[in-house]
Amino acid sequence: MNYRLNSTGAIAKRKIFETFISPGFYIALSIGLLLGYFVIGGFVDSIDSSGLNYSLNSIYELIARSLSGAFGETFVIKLFAEGPYLFALFVSFIPFLFYLAISSVFKFGFEKKVGALELITYGPADGTSYFLASFVKDMVFTLIYLMVLLVFFFVSALINNLVLGPMFFYTTVMMIFLSFAFYGYGVVSSVLTDTASSAIALFLGIALFFLIIQMGSFTIVSGYVRNLSTVLAWIIKWISPVFYLDLGMSSIGYGNVPMYLLSMLLLLVLTGGLLLISHLILKVRGVRV
Amino acid sequence: MKNMKKTTRKLSVTLILAILIFLFALAPVFSDVPVRKEQLIYSILAFVGKEYTGTFCRQDADTFYLMADVDNFITIRKTLVYFWPITQDWKVDTEALNIPFEGTLIIEGKDIGKKEIKQVKYTYYNAPGEYEVNWKVFTGKDADKEWQKYSKIVDAYWKAVEKYYAEKSKYEAELTRLTREITKARDEGKDTKRLLAKLKTLKQPKEPTDKAPKYYVKPVEKAFVLNLPVGEYSVKFINKDGKVMEGSEKKIVVFGKRRSNGIGYDVIPGDKWTRPVQSATPSSVLYIDGTTDLYLRPYYQDEFNDLYYNKMVKNDAKGNPNIMKWVRIQQVPKARVELIKKESSSEVILEKPYYVQQTQGSSLGYKIVPFDPKKYEGRQPSLRAFKVPISRNLRSLKFRLQDKNGKYLSGSDREIRIIVKSNLQIILLILALFPIGLMFIVLAIRGRKYSSG
Repeated sequence: MNYRLNSTGAIAKRKIFETFISPGFYIALSIGLLLGYFVIGGFVDSIDSSGLNYSLNSIYELIARSLSGAFGETFVIKLFAEGPYLFALFVSFIPFLFYLAISSVFKFGFEKKVGALELITYGPADGTSYFLASFVKDMVFTLIYLMVLLVFFFVSALINNLVLGPMFFYTTVMMIFLSFAFYGYGVVSSVLTDTASSAIALFLGIALFFLIIQMGSFTIVSGYVRNLSTVLAWIIKWISPVFYLDLGMSSIGYGNVPMYLLSMLLLLVLTGGLLLISHLILKVRGVRV
Repeated sequence: MKNMKKTTRKLSVTLILAILIFLFALAPVFSDVPVRKEQLIYSILAFVGKEYTGTFCRQDADTFYLMADVDNFITIRKTLVYFWPITQDWKVDTEALNIPFEGTLIIEGKDIGKKEIKQVKYTYYNAPGEYEVNWKVFTGKDADKEWQKYSKIVDAYWKAVEKYYAEKSKYEAELTRLTREITKARDEGKDTKRLLAKLKTLKQPKEPTDKAPKYYVKPVEKAFVLNLPVGEYSVKFINKDGKVMEGSEKKIVVFGKRRSNGIGYDVIPGDKWTRPVQSATPSSVLYIDGTTDLYLRPYYQDEFNDLYYNKMVKNDAKGNPNIMKWVRIQQVPKARVELIKKESSSEVILEKPYYVQQTQGSSLGYKIVPFDPKKYEGRQPSLRAFKVPISRNLRSLKFRLQDKNGKYLSGSDREIRIIVKSNLQIILLILALFPIGLMFIVLAIRGRKYSSG
């Protein structure tokens, strides 16, 4: 156990260093911040004497109309009740989450394919310590990114006289645990498949499935689409990270802090379960393609 | 001759083209006539938290929605249903066909088992009082009694009004006649003393002291009164022959409020007083550009499921089943707003009447001024609200609500932030692009290290 921890730490350090010296991280960081910049700028442009007036900014009008059409007016009102930051958080964070998860999944698949992973396992490390190191690296970069995002949002709030409301902070904390669960699915996808492309396809399939089903159950269109989404969302809810995000956010909206904490705990349990499954799969399949 | 023929031909072609264009223009008018279909509908008079609202459940809709533990009135009828594309909703044509059915409703649900409900007479009214919402419902004989009581008050009022106007017209006729006679007598140099004495004895009739009732009692009608606990129920209609009416089997979703007595505000900007916005989410922030003062009207609000509530108000409406929404219920009587500009200083403001005055001159517009009953005699205030003075120099202020006893109402806190577009936006853009700059530095260091290594 100790040797696995040591090797996990060593590999994680190496991976973190590699990510720091590669351009991808910086580009993803900038893209996330730019998206946030446009969301905040658009919000400021849309303010008039009576409050938020979407029609003042064409991009915001498009966003508000699309969101209202899909999820209803109440959803949009709640999304912007504290200001632009809740929406900006989703817009800035989700692409970065996918970048991190996909890059790890790709690297795992690639190194498995070229035999690098097999080579490592002849030494002091094993497959589990490798994917744990990947997971640790993703965790570290998620925290770094969220800290950068918080600083950026804080500066923008100061400049524009905006508020980072309580819902924003609760959701930010929730995002950490949500991303852990997604990275867990990334690890499962990697150990289940033989090539990088199939691992990415599987991961994207799983992630988008959860997202679309949860969003489908939120749509205001009546009939088949929502009914199907609601049923599927109910079936997959215990394994869907997005369900726990919704549970946590709706609990905090109602002032139910214990349920909010429980939803984060459940996300951790889900992540732990996914890592355990990955460990068992690796034990059975090994790291050789 | 040839020229004339040519001209006639040209005219004919032009005329035919004009007719064709006209017909094309008319085409949408004829093509959009909605198709009316005869359907068995559930006509629903639902209590929506603040009032009774009518909707209907058409044959294709399988569910209707009601609020729990309140009286709702249902009738079954055959009518013509059509889709109106302009407003994108379903409508009924009860003028062409409207056949109500008598029978029994069978409702089945977990908590109530199987229940038979008969039609009863009913009436309701919103009793005037301190609160806007004070609904009273009467069924059976009580409904008749209440209606008779109300009819008597209304009849007595109208009789008094009628009597007053008859006396007034008699008085005015007598006054005119005497005035004429006096003028004539004066012109003829006759004695007017007797006529003047008679004029003095004329008394103007007094307006009736009985005021019209401030409430309206709905005329007695027959319906199924549904007052159910939260749950899902199946319903069907049994006609007089004891058979289930085809198309009458539906599901009823009965729901309650998740939270009640929240505080919402109508926020009226001084420059758009006819377009108030609502601040419903507790502890939300109101961002404004600070160009005009705000007028607030606080109200109590209850929280309901978005889809259920929307569908209760209008059965073919859309809504989000996973989101709760706040619904305005009634005003907060005798409330006070506490404005907090800095943590240490606060100011209590009271509700006052205001008048919207058109501005003089070429610049079209208006201004909101305090309502002066003397200055605006015979007019009503345009709005009653709490005025919150706003200026562009103010960065933020908070406010909360006190009830008539000075107790703070939970969920009434709001913050106003004045957004003045800053020139420092460029800093944000630089910050957002900073990682790219950092990337070039890292790549340069990496490149140098690799080349030296």
